[in-house]
Amino acid sequence: MSAQAQKACLEVQDATRRFGGLVAVNAVSFQVKPRSVTAVIGPNGAGKTTLFNLISGALSPSSGRVLFEGVDVTAEPPEAKAARGLIRTFQLVKLFPELSAVENVKVGCHLRTRGGLLAALLRPRWARRMEAETEERARVLLELVGLAATADQPAAALSYGQARLLEVARALAAQPRLLMLDEPAAGLNADESARLATLIRRIADDGTAVLLIEHDMHLVMNTADEVVVVDFGKKIAQGAPDRIRQDPAVIAAYLG
Amino acid sequence: MNSSPSTILPKAVSVPARVSPRRHLAQAAPWLAAAAVVGYALVVGGYPATVVGFALIYAIFVSGLNIFMGLTAQVSFGQSAFAAIGGYGSAILTTQYDWTWAPAMLAGLAAAVAAAFVIGYPTLRLKGHYLSMATLAIGLIAHEIAVQWESVTLGYLGISGVPPIDIAGFELSSDRATLTMLTVCVLATAFAVARIRRSRLGRAFAGLAGSEDAARALGIDVARYKLLSFLLAAGFASFSGSLFVHVVGYVSPEVFSLHMVILSFTMLYVGGIGTVVGPVIGALVVSVLPETFRALRDYQDLAYGAALILLLIFAPRGLAGLFAALDTRRKP
Amino acid sequence: MDFTLIGQSLVSGLGIGCVYGLIGIGFCVIYNASGIVNFAQGAFVMLGGMITHALFVRVELPYGLAILLAVLIVALIGVVLERVVVRPLWTRNAPMFVMILATLAAQIVIERLTYLAADDQPKTLPVFTDVPPIMLRGIAVNIQSLWIITGSLAIVALLALFFKTTRTGKAMRACAINREAAALQGIPVHSMLALAFALSAGLGAVAGIMLTPTQYTAYDVGVPFAISGFIAAIIGGFGRPFGAFLGGLMLGVVQATAILYFGAGLKTVIALSILLLFLFVRPSGLLGAAK
Repeated sequence: MSAQAQKACLEVQDATRRFGGLVAVNAVSFQVKPRSVTAVIGPNGAGKTTLFNLISGALSPSSGRVLFEGVDVTAEPPEAKAARGLIRTFQLVKLFPELSAVENVKVGCHLRTRGGLLAALLRPRWARRMEAETEERARVLLELVGLAATADQPAAALSYGQARLLEVARALAAQPRLLMLDEPAAGLNADESARLATLIRRIADDGTAVLLIEHDMHLVMNTADEVVVVDFGKKIAQGAPDRIRQDPAVIAAYLG
Repeated sequence: MNSSPSTILPKAVSVPARVSPRRHLAQAAPWLAAAAVVGYALVVGGYPATVVGFALIYAIFVSGLNIFMGLTAQVSFGQSAFAAIGGYGSAILTTQYDWTWAPAMLAGLAAAVAAAFVIGYPTLRLKGHYLSMATLAIGLIAHEIAVQWESVTLGYLGISGVPPIDIAGFELSSDRATLTMLTVCVLATAFAVARIRRSRLGRAFAGLAGSEDAARALGIDVARYKLLSFLLAAGFASFSGSLFVHVVGYVSPEVFSLHMVILSFTMLYVGGIGTVVGPVIGALVVSVLPETFRALRDYQDLAYGAALILLLIFAPRGLAGLFAALDTRRKP
Repeated sequence: MDFTLIGQSLVSGLGIGCVYGLIGIGFCVIYNASGIVNFAQGAFVMLGGMITHALFVRVELPYGLAILLAVLIVALIGVVLERVVVRPLWTRNAPMFVMILATLAAQIVIERLTYLAADDQPKTLPVFTDVPPIMLRGIAVNIQSLWIITGSLAIVALLALFFKTTRTGKAMRACAINREAAALQGIPVHSMLALAFALSAGLGAVAGIMLTPTQYTAYDVGVPFAISGFIAAIIGGFGRPFGAFLGGLMLGVVQATAILYFGAGLKTVIALSILLLFLFVRPSGLLGAAK
């Protein structure tokens, strides 16, 4: 393995997924560098979400490999990948609707806390302290995404944009090393979207790689260091945002 | 590169959850109601104490069911199997092998949890009506075994002469002593459920109840926590089964029939699924109400079934839902 | 184990297997129309026998008329069940287990009502034709078993005809394939659900009536029959009516053979073990689940 590859946070090698005769993702390869924001863009139905599912473990690839921090994690289930620090959000937001916003984020702290049945029942001092820290952390994260005011409302009562932001906060609670966001800006108003862009940049600058699927080109151009373009399941271009904007293949895919 | 997002977070002052006096009242009201009923039975003794005693045993069983169904949003129609293991375990070990109640109860508990582990592993992979039917089948198999394995269970005849529980040489055979002991057991159970609910474990349950995909994406091992929830429910079921045989002094297959399952579901829905106090309130209401209308006693199963259907249609959140209407927040 | 004994249990196994098959078809018909698994299916089987008994013995109607009326009454009860219990939950989009729980509660309600209306004594019905068993190479073939087998085959044939040729039958199949699309095509999905309950209740009643002369019926025989019917449906691949019938035959024969070796006491345990085996190892059944 080259020094270059070892440095990559995530490396996707020839990832392919077939559904019957349809090849949804066709031999896609790319890397995500640490502390960078990589965006996957492409027309609707290009296979972006399927690609995401292959990386996160929700689907297993028909062929190809997924390396996370140099380790082959292709066959691992989602919870195992999450335990390595590969945390995702969903295109169709999947919150815990019955729980309040702050409880949702606290569930996100699962990997960074410990304690099972005995800790729950006996509640020793360390568990009490951890509970308090979890509560505070969750509220701080809500503050960060701008949801402090709705912390105690049930998640089901949040607006669509708020629900998306809550999902980001919940993912951050797991302290990801790679944060995968599936269309985080969909349904956000201009204000929320701008806040999200700042947040994504800040997350990356602080050491967590970000991989996002996004339709909002404004957000992509403002945040991404690297853009991967897919169309009909294939990668058609990759590069810095400025270069991608002028790439004839990309323009053709979007217009044609 | 070990930095985590926590380092980028502004050190904002956390906003504590506000607790209004009205909220306190709303939370306390069902407990006060339950205390009033149990207190009345303690004072009066006799038959009311017996009825309330049964209700409290059921409250423990239903609390276990509530962990699996209310907190974890899974389905089991076969929890009676684990109550049967606990009940028969206690009855057989104390009457035929002269064990004292405590080790017998623990042995029953261990057997029930072990059985739940063996059964749960393949069963909990199923979903929907497959899971429902598989768990129902497990409950019925347990009932059939209790009927057929006559050399051990004495079949339909049942096992009688199970000694009451004694503590430090003092036999809890009077109505009031039994009721006091059961009240302590129910409080301990409710305390355990409340602590589980507000813990990392409870949040993992709530997570997989809300969305299995999201839970897995956050690193929650869904299969493991489902099984753990099932084991807990089986443990409480076994505990209630053991208590039942010691309090009644007798066990037979009918105790753990499909009717027990329907009855416990009625209690769960009357009280309110997913709440700590719900199972207690549900068990008390469903047990006490038919007694106050003596004429209804022949129609008990009918009434339970009909009440359950009506509740499912018109008030799926139960009585605790009514109490919660005074409250703004829905869950922890 | 001598040959005649095995032959004999094979015949009775086929007979009871037909009954399981009809109940299994009942599960599928409702499941296909609504996605609901009706756990009160066994109540129809019990009611068929009990109502026929009441009409024949208490009201003293002619046997044939009693049977006909009983089937109609049970079909009507099926519609009532759909209207009162299932539809309110169905329109509210209640979770699957709530629906199952409600039908299970309905089973208990029907059982208790029957108990109050009749009593807890087992009841039986006369055989359809009072002829001594036919001897086939030493195997005594019970005439009632022949009635069950031919009757069930006729019903299955009629059902096939109904689903293939009639407008209503085709509409029901359309609902099974895609309910939303069927509704858009102007098929009255709600009436189809009521019809499915009527049909499945009627099937259960017929099964119960045919079987009662060989065994007995009582207010509490429903649940084991429901379980057996469900197992038949699972073996056949849930949602395939004719698969369910074959599944019923298989279950009947396996159970009859197993009883020879292990004794009748474990009948239910054997059936339930077959169920768990299928659920754990091959939940899609032998033929693969519908859809």
